[in-house]
Amino acid sequence: MTARTGIGGVHERLLRIHLHDGSSERWDEPVPPEHYRDVIGGIGLASLLLLQICPPGADPLGPENPLIFATSPFAGTGITTASKIAVAARSPQTGMIGDSLSSSYLALALKRTGHDAIAITGQADHWSVMVVDDGAIHLRPAAALLGLSPGETANRLRAELGAAFRVAAIGPAGEQGVRYAAIANDGRLAGRTGGGAMMGAKRLKAIAVRGSALPAAADPRAVAALARDLAARSLGPATAKYREIGTVANVSFFNRMGLLPTQNFQGGQFDGAESISGETLRLEHYTGKHACAACTVGCEHHYRTTDGGVETSARMEYETLFALGSLCGVSDPNVVLRASALCDDLGMDAISAGGSVAWAMECRERGVDLGVADEEVPRWGDGAALLRMLRQIGAREGLGDLLADGARAAAARVGQGSDAWAMHVKGLELPGYDPRKLPTLALGLAVAARGACHNRSSAYEVDLSDQLDADADARARATAAAAAEDQAALLDSLTLCKFLRHALGDVHEESAALHRAVTGLLTTADDLHAAGARINAVKKAFNLAQGWTRALDTLPPRVLQPDSDGAHIDPVWLNRQIDAYYHVRGWDQEGRPADLEVRKR
Amino acid sequence: MAQHPQQSIATASPHPPLQLTVELFGVPRLLAGSRVIAATGANLAGLAADLVRRAPSLAGRVLDAESGWPLDGYSFVVDEQFTRDRALPLQAGTTVILVASAAGG
Repeated sequence: MTARTGIGGVHERLLRIHLHDGSSERWDEPVPPEHYRDVIGGIGLASLLLLQICPPGADPLGPENPLIFATSPFAGTGITTASKIAVAARSPQTGMIGDSLSSSYLALALKRTGHDAIAITGQADHWSVMVVDDGAIHLRPAAALLGLSPGETANRLRAELGAAFRVAAIGPAGEQGVRYAAIANDGRLAGRTGGGAMMGAKRLKAIAVRGSALPAAADPRAVAALARDLAARSLGPATAKYREIGTVANVSFFNRMGLLPTQNFQGGQFDGAESISGETLRLEHYTGKHACAACTVGCEHHYRTTDGGVETSARMEYETLFALGSLCGVSDPNVVLRASALCDDLGMDAISAGGSVAWAMECRERGVDLGVADEEVPRWGDGAALLRMLRQIGAREGLGDLLADGARAAAARVGQGSDAWAMHVKGLELPGYDPRKLPTLALGLAVAARGACHNRSSAYEVDLSDQLDADADARARATAAAAAEDQAALLDSLTLCKFLRHALGDVHEESAALHRAVTGLLTTADDLHAAGARINAVKKAFNLAQGWTRALDTLPPRVLQPDSDGAHIDPVWLNRQIDAYYHVRGWDQEGRPADLEVRKR
Repeated sequence: MAQHPQQSIATASPHPPLQLTVELFGVPRLLAGSRVIAATGANLAGLAADLVRRAPSLAGRVLDAESGWPLDGYSFVVDEQFTRDRALPLQAGTTVILVASAAGG
């Protein structure tokens, strides 16, 4: 620990790195103290730095687009689940804000370098590994690492550089510019919006980080006491689902409720749901669980194949399970496990990969010409074809080259009406919740700055609870959707895991107490409510600078038209909800925040 | 999922008890070793009390050992609506689910 001089828990320093001509230029910049009050850290800090550094209209795969990593005041304090790192850039998948969150040791290593964030601009002239060793930076050749998975890359680098280094790496998908390529570290992924493609465009195969200087908290004793109390509660029934079975538990329940996206959102119930359910995986495929650094919950559950082929072990989350399972009509759990492991090894977001393959499967069902032989286009439920398609996407070969740009871009190229079943918002494929039966989430997905994302909206929780009546008026629903979005932004910026939310009595009150103890600032719950809203305004401001218009705040055509049971989101109803949401936010009818002063800071 | 109208907690119900099948998902299913459990009650509180008697493996981990009411982190879903209304009357054909209240990711 280093002595505290200003705000506790942070260094108030940004490390800027510019890549060019096989070398790098580095300089430090102070982070204004008000940033830690206004946008906290994590996703909030990364989003604000992105807004300030990225020029409007910057090519998402060009040198001007900054790749930003940011930690938070809580990381490294011992507060459970807080070892997270935010990644932000202009998304090569959506053209809007691309922000992702990953967990574990990388966040601690970065924070020990004496900086709260790193912003990388420019482009190396050959494939490189960036080594950040405390404050010293150098590039080393990465040619020997090309083609390796993120995990293999990290293992090799740590063997060569030392185990104290933590590594963020891309896989073959990032090297090939798959627009939903991920950045992986410590077995975790900053998965959505294509940060891996951005890193690949900078010709960075990996970033290896080691540091030695954690900043001191303002009141270490208070932090320790609060952290102990929270850790104890994190082991109670409020997190039992995550500890004992994980998010895969959603499959069977969502299927029962008609919410499990099936065959590219053609339905909400899957005949094969039981075989890929969390309960079945737990009983027949389970190998054990892991926890991220400084996490008492341990939600990461691993499973193995049992089909007699080469045994594969994979971590599995609900989103991976739905996207590579029911969404593609695949009911063989061994196939889904192999597909999940493949996405991790290739380094790409399983939701967008599954969503893109499901779009192609529906093209085949409808006889749409994809420019390849029919037998090369996967059919619903064809596990071997799913695995082949994922490999082709990772290599940008054959049909995989089309699908590597995501469903929106693929539909735009193919035409033939196929945009009608491209299931995305702002170019980001939908997560595993059927919005036709979750009206608050439907609104949340439509307006979310990074596109269709359950993690940024979190409004499904309003629908899957008794918070709001089904016939609630537009203002009540908009208020609930905005509150859910603001809370998500706050947690992503404190870098507290959302899986803790039910273990917290009052998220804002308890977070404020922690924030006071860590930073020494006189933070109140009201301050954190305001910070959550401000962080979402920052994201909106970034999108506005990149050409966002209200027309992008919508849902896929399929969701807006009645399905076979008549379920849908009425477009007129949705527009009314969006009007109300803008009003609740204090934005004008075109969705523009009145006050964009935050950009000038 | 809409909210049931809030009612005062009732310890007694004018409705006669009836037997319903409670569907279990996730941790409750794994602990009970069963997908469904039959239980009897006139209202949701009564059903919960009978449920914990019939499925003692849920006591203290999912349901309160005394009252049978779901602990923080678990919820009943009645006719596809999440509810915490202990006095909710039950009728023939009512569907009851026991699941983690953190129903999403």
